Amino acid sequence: MSAGGTSTARPVRRVVYGERLRRYLGAFATPRFHAGGGLLLVLTMAALAAPLIFPGGVDQQSRDSFLPPSPGHPFGTDELGRDIFVRCVYALRISISLVVVAVPLAMVVGTLMGLAGAVSSRLGDAFQRLFDIILGFPSIVLGICIVIIMGPGWASLAVTIVIFSLPQFGRLARAQLLSEMGREYVLAARVLGVGKGRIMLRHILPNTLEPLFVQMSLSMIAGIFLEAALSIVGLGIQPPTPSLGTLLNVGIRYVYAQPMYTGGPVIMLLLLAVAFNLIADALNAAVLKTRSEA
Amino acid sequence: MTAPLLEVRELVTEFAGAGRRLRALHEVSFGVEAGSILGIVGESGSGKSLTARSIMRMVPEPGAITGGQVIFAGRDLTQLSEDEMRTIRGREIAMVFQDPQAALNPVKTVGWQIEEALVVHGVSARKARERTLELLRQVGIPDPEARVDEFPHQFSGGMRQRVVIAIAIANAAPLIVADEPTTALDVTIQAQVLRLLVDLRERLGATIILITHDMGVVAELCNDLVVMYGGRVVERGRTADIFAAPQHPYTRALLRSMPKIDGDVRERLSAVPGATPDLSRLPPGCAFHPRCSLAEAVCRSEVPPLAVVPQRPQNRSACHVALREGRLPAEPRHDDAQPAGRRPALEQPILELHDVRVNFGSRRMLFRRTAPLLAVDGVSLSVRPGETLGLVGESGCGKTTLSRAIVGLNLPSEGRIILKGEDVTSFDETASARVRKTVQYVFQDPYASLNPRLTIRQILSEALEMRGVARAEREVEARKLLGLVGLDPDYLGRYPRAFSGGQRQRIGIARALAVEPQVLICDEPVSALDVSIQAQVINVLADLRDRLGLAVLFIAHDLAVVRHLSDRVAVMYLGRIVEEGPAAEIYARPLHPYTAVLMSSTPRPVPDPQAMARKVILRGDVPSPRNPPSGCRFRTRCPIGPLADPSRRICIEQDPALAGAGAHRSACHFPEDAARAASSDKTLAAAEGTSTA
Repeated sequence: MSAGGTSTARPVRRVVYGERLRRYLGAFATPRFHAGGGLLLVLTMAALAAPLIFPGGVDQQSRDSFLPPSPGHPFGTDELGRDIFVRCVYALRISISLVVVAVPLAMVVGTLMGLAGAVSSRLGDAFQRLFDIILGFPSIVLGICIVIIMGPGWASLAVTIVIFSLPQFGRLARAQLLSEMGREYVLAARVLGVGKGRIMLRHILPNTLEPLFVQMSLSMIAGIFLEAALSIVGLGIQPPTPSLGTLLNVGIRYVYAQPMYTGGPVIMLLLLAVAFNLIADALNAAVLKTRSEA
Repeated sequence: MTAPLLEVRELVTEFAGAGRRLRALHEVSFGVEAGSILGIVGESGSGKSLTARSIMRMVPEPGAITGGQVIFAGRDLTQLSEDEMRTIRGREIAMVFQDPQAALNPVKTVGWQIEEALVVHGVSARKARERTLELLRQVGIPDPEARVDEFPHQFSGGMRQRVVIAIAIANAAPLIVADEPTTALDVTIQAQVLRLLVDLRERLGATIILITHDMGVVAELCNDLVVMYGGRVVERGRTADIFAAPQHPYTRALLRSMPKIDGDVRERLSAVPGATPDLSRLPPGCAFHPRCSLAEAVCRSEVPPLAVVPQRPQNRSACHVALREGRLPAEPRHDDAQPAGRRPALEQPILELHDVRVNFGSRRMLFRRTAPLLAVDGVSLSVRPGETLGLVGESGCGKTTLSRAIVGLNLPSEGRIILKGEDVTSFDETASARVRKTVQYVFQDPYASLNPRLTIRQILSEALEMRGVARAEREVEARKLLGLVGLDPDYLGRYPRAFSGGQRQRIGIARALAVEPQVLICDEPVSALDVSIQAQVINVLADLRDRLGLAVLFIAHDLAVVRHLSDRVAVMYLGRIVEEGPAAEIYARPLHPYTAVLMSSTPRPVPDPQAMARKVILRGDVPSPRNPPSGCRFRTRCPIGPLADPSRRICIEQDPALAGAGAHRSACHFPEDAARAASSDKTLAAAEGTSTA
């Protein structure tokens, strides 16, 4: 039937399941995303395959200390004659593994903490005050505290990055929550009697995810730099395990004898930062694009 | 007939898109006579604003004028250089924008912004200051010396629009282009601004192009009319001629689909099927043919030219049928679905409000506020099963707050809400559950009220789940619901994005009906929709109400829409009900001056050169509910209160109670004078006109 002769125009566009996904993939298919994603892929593959490519391992020493860069040693060798390039590639394993584990963890926990206000405003407020406290500590001081408690190493770095990243996601999710809570479809769900937890997960969470993914990419850069910063001052990864921070720690001492000792890790840091930044940029553009189409 | 001041000839504006050019204006032609007001009407996407922008040569990137001429004072504006055009903008042709919030720079004083308009056209700084004060006085801003150095946020919406108009007339431009100048304003403020425009035309001899979607505004103000649809002019002529006998099916449909403030309530609105087309997906041939009842084969393939209608030489119409037949043939009126006679409900009220107050001031917030802010201050209402109560008021009067309090979205701080005889004011677990099952809500904004991430199936299933429908039956029920609101059940798998505003609003109604409520609260359900779409939604609502016996609380600011749907009407002002009673009685004989003024301010789609002169224009703006006036809350603007008659001290000293014989009650000390407020009280109207000027 038709409600009183008001026939309906067909919706202008046919929308099927998965179309949204395809739209996203389409939005990602930008040169920026390809460049960033490709770079990250190369770096990750190199880190993963390092033991296969460089079967000698990171600690293969030789007499030839402080060799200048050459085709055999792209970044030269260090004070013990170890190949700096190999050590840099191995160092990527630490950096990437840290952020790949810690940042998504922080994202999940932080987002839920930020959205907790939808279920209990008191709990939501409590988490925000917790974020205030975390943000009150500079990241280095935070790291020092955690290293004192847990001892230096990969785990304490991971914990530091998680705690340091929590407020970034929590705050962002909170901001999204506050704007979504007043939206009419959330009110409509409340009037229907939909439970609070379900409103949060079904109505609010999916509409807040996009900026959080952009933030994830940015937080990964921050995490990588945090590792480097803590390791430079000796609070992170301990030598002889190479990480970008420990390499810099030692490299600074030989900066005149072997500039590439610091240059190598810095190049790696920059490559990682550029890769994640390009991805964040592309994600952000995709968010804006899909938002305006919605 | 004088030579036109501005003549637009075959104007074409295109947007360069990905690999193709999108034509947004198709050979638009019209002329404006000096000293007249030309109305350009159309719905969203008709190209009316773009026409204004094209005249000003301010087409947004990547658009460009690609054909035609705009002849102004003997010069073709499309051929001028950007520098030459700059000297014309503001000095020869000025523009008034739709949104006064956005048209003024928030970090500059209003004086600075008016002076800027003067200085760029060569007035010295000292003279500019004097002229600015004069302009503010001219547009009716009280105490201009004090206000000239204030910032836009210190002005109300109506006052801001006056400042925008002051900027427009600063250099005495002979032509003013006003793009929806009153769309963002309340009806009493709209009347103020429209009166100002008419006054300015008379005093300064300016010519005005008024762009609007409101046929009422056109009828009351404009001498000539251009009707646009899908980027084309479909009809052109004298306003009176077009209203008397529209020669394009679209114009006729538009006029017919408007609810009339003084019309027969029983009458069904003749809705235009379908939705306004997107300029990027115009149908071939006549753009209106998919929605036109007269459409023929030729309409689907060939674009009709805009030509003189043989038997109505005053009108030009772009309709194949009208041009061939000599005039637009009468449309067979299909009165098939006459609504059943509605009998007055005599049962016990299903929903009662007793003295409800909603306090926003002392709500628990991050920064506590101590002063109470009563958005709703002691409202008592009742709705019976099968009855529609219309709640009317301007923005900020508390009508949305009140309606949300009924469903527990805002908690009332005082008073009682009684649903089917049981007190649910506490909104605890059991009370909330009871409310959810009985009362549902249709929201205002069809674009925000559906979750963009969920398909229609998911949206409706969720609502059905709340009613306790088993998973297996939800599909069938959801299809039934879509059918109920007149949508194709096969659309279940689509996302809200795929639907037009009117369709989304119907989905919103379907969702509300999923829990089989007995009371439906509709908060401005049609105010965001185009006129031709409005009627579809209004008809669906009326049908469902009659079929399902729903009690409806219908909230709107448009008196004509409320009149069309309501059995009883309550008028709200500043948190209070000022008048309540049967719709027919209130509209025939209002007992509160505010009601009378609201009715007088509402533009009627009947051409009447005297309409503006007869209107009672309220002074000032709605006071802040934070600090309401003593006594009667309306007294600071009342045309029959202490402002007009200082002996009426009682209005200042005593708060009038809602009283009266029988069902029709009003909160006024002088209800017998209220009707006079709306009548053509020349002395009062004249006094208002000069006091604001």
